[in-house]
Amino acid sequence: MTTAADTTHGPRPAPLATLRQLYVIVLRLQLTPLRVLAIAALGAVAVLLGGLTRRDDDPLQATAEMVAGYGITVAVPLCVLWLATSSLGDLVDDGLLVYLWLKPVARWQLPAAAVLAVATVVGSLVVVPLVVAPLVAGTSELALDVAVSALLATLAYAGLFVALGLWLRRALWWGLAYLLVWENGIARASEGASRLSVGGYARSVLARLADVELADAGRSLGLGVSVLVAVAIGGLVAATIRYRRAEIA
Amino acid sequence: MSGPVVEVQGVSKWFGGVVAVSDVSFTIPDGVTALLGPNGAGKSTMLRLLCGLARPSKGTVRVLGRDPRTDLDVTRLIGLAPQQESVFEPLTAHAFVRATAVLHGVPDPTAAAAAALGRVELDPADTRRLPTYSKGMRQRVKLAQAIVHEPRVIVLDEPLTGLDPRQRSHMIALFHSLGGDGRCVIVTSHVLEEVERFGTRVLVMTKGRLAASGDFREIRALMDDRPLRLRVRTDAAQALGGALLGAGVVVGVRIQADGELLVDTRDARRLAHEIPRIARAERARLFEIRPLDSDLEGVFRYLVER
Repeated sequence: MTTAADTTHGPRPAPLATLRQLYVIVLRLQLTPLRVLAIAALGAVAVLLGGLTRRDDDPLQATAEMVAGYGITVAVPLCVLWLATSSLGDLVDDGLLVYLWLKPVARWQLPAAAVLAVATVVGSLVVVPLVVAPLVAGTSELALDVAVSALLATLAYAGLFVALGLWLRRALWWGLAYLLVWENGIARASEGASRLSVGGYARSVLARLADVELADAGRSLGLGVSVLVAVAIGGLVAATIRYRRAEIA
Repeated sequence: MSGPVVEVQGVSKWFGGVVAVSDVSFTIPDGVTALLGPNGAGKSTMLRLLCGLARPSKGTVRVLGRDPRTDLDVTRLIGLAPQQESVFEPLTAHAFVRATAVLHGVPDPTAAAAAALGRVELDPADTRRLPTYSKGMRQRVKLAQAIVHEPRVIVLDEPLTGLDPRQRSHMIALFHSLGGDGRCVIVTSHVLEEVERFGTRVLVMTKGRLAASGDFREIRALMDDRPLRLRVRTDAAQALGGALLGAGVVVGVRIQADGELLVDTRDARRLAHEIPRIARAERARLFEIRPLDSDLEGVFRYLVER
């Protein structure tokens, strides 16, 4: 070990190296056997449903409705909610944030790492099965449209729920309330409220890309993509602000 | 560096209506400094303020002249081993310490992590995950991650908890070695005898306030010099109390409603020697002599109230 007088402190660590390290840490914390099994099971359901839609008279329409109704409305938001609210929330609850906060790393990196880690898990275990579903259904032309819309939904929900996990206690329950009461209740019943529904924009992206008619999917492609990206970035910014101001126990 | 490394000026910290730290000022130079105080004295809150983990409600904290709360660059100069036992469960000790090195931008994080673990007598090649480690081993892992980037200021919150006597000796030698390197090492403890081995510079905190600061021997002398209160159960409280006062063995006597005697003495050894003789002379039977206020809390309370 060198003496303190010898110690030189050059430039800050490379941002990509620190982001990668934070991503690996958050990802490893998220990958518990229970979570992996439960989320993979929800993903597997999409493949089974894809097999069923194959027998439909209009498999393309049926598969798009299945992806919109099950994948984008249920599986993706629920899985993202579970992982995202715990990704940084667990670090806070377990007293581990102290090891990450006292580092010369830009404050936006930890929330960004959390969003990326959530997207990795949900992308692998839910979005990939959703993409496989059209292949099983014999509507392979839908696969890319499903991938784009489901990934955008994943990123938007991840930004939103990572921020929620830092801003609110019992974020999981607040998130569930948002999904059940707002997105699947009020937003579906009211045109005005539907403008504040992440799921509605994701379904719209799928409908426009696949050129099919879907319920609660009346936005344009450009607006849908823009809003989903804006929600992801907005969530990241909100999470960063909260993290920067946080008092670490 | 000859000036203070850490400067705390009029710092208070409250959480809602609870005051954790109240108007504390001190400076800390290079070398080992012990922050001593009973549990709940505000030591850990003070360390959080020193590291920028919490914002002072009032006052300023400077580490090497910078604000640790807002200046990201100063975090590279600080290494902290927190008190909490939690660790990253999926990681091995080496992966954990290496991750810290990467986040600090250490050029060769793998080698640095191995070296830091070696300094705390842990095997860098150990493939077991951290939850399988004993409390003492986890303490050493926390210390390794605090020193892996060779920080200028090392902050250790109750670092000897869970260590066996041999490990304690090794860790204390390591603290002295780090302090001798020209680093500022701040160590908290609630055990008086432990602090004696850390070094000569001590800050004593109790109830969120700085009760004393300076050379350990001077503070220890103050502590040893304080009046000691004892309870004496006897069948002749009034006579015995008067005789003890008259002999100059005690400096204060109070007779309780239940007939027990409370005495204050500055020389407990002399009291122990004289009280049987005086009791015999007064024909008083002694049933029990018990020191009160002899715990560490009492020592700290004396320092605050003196």
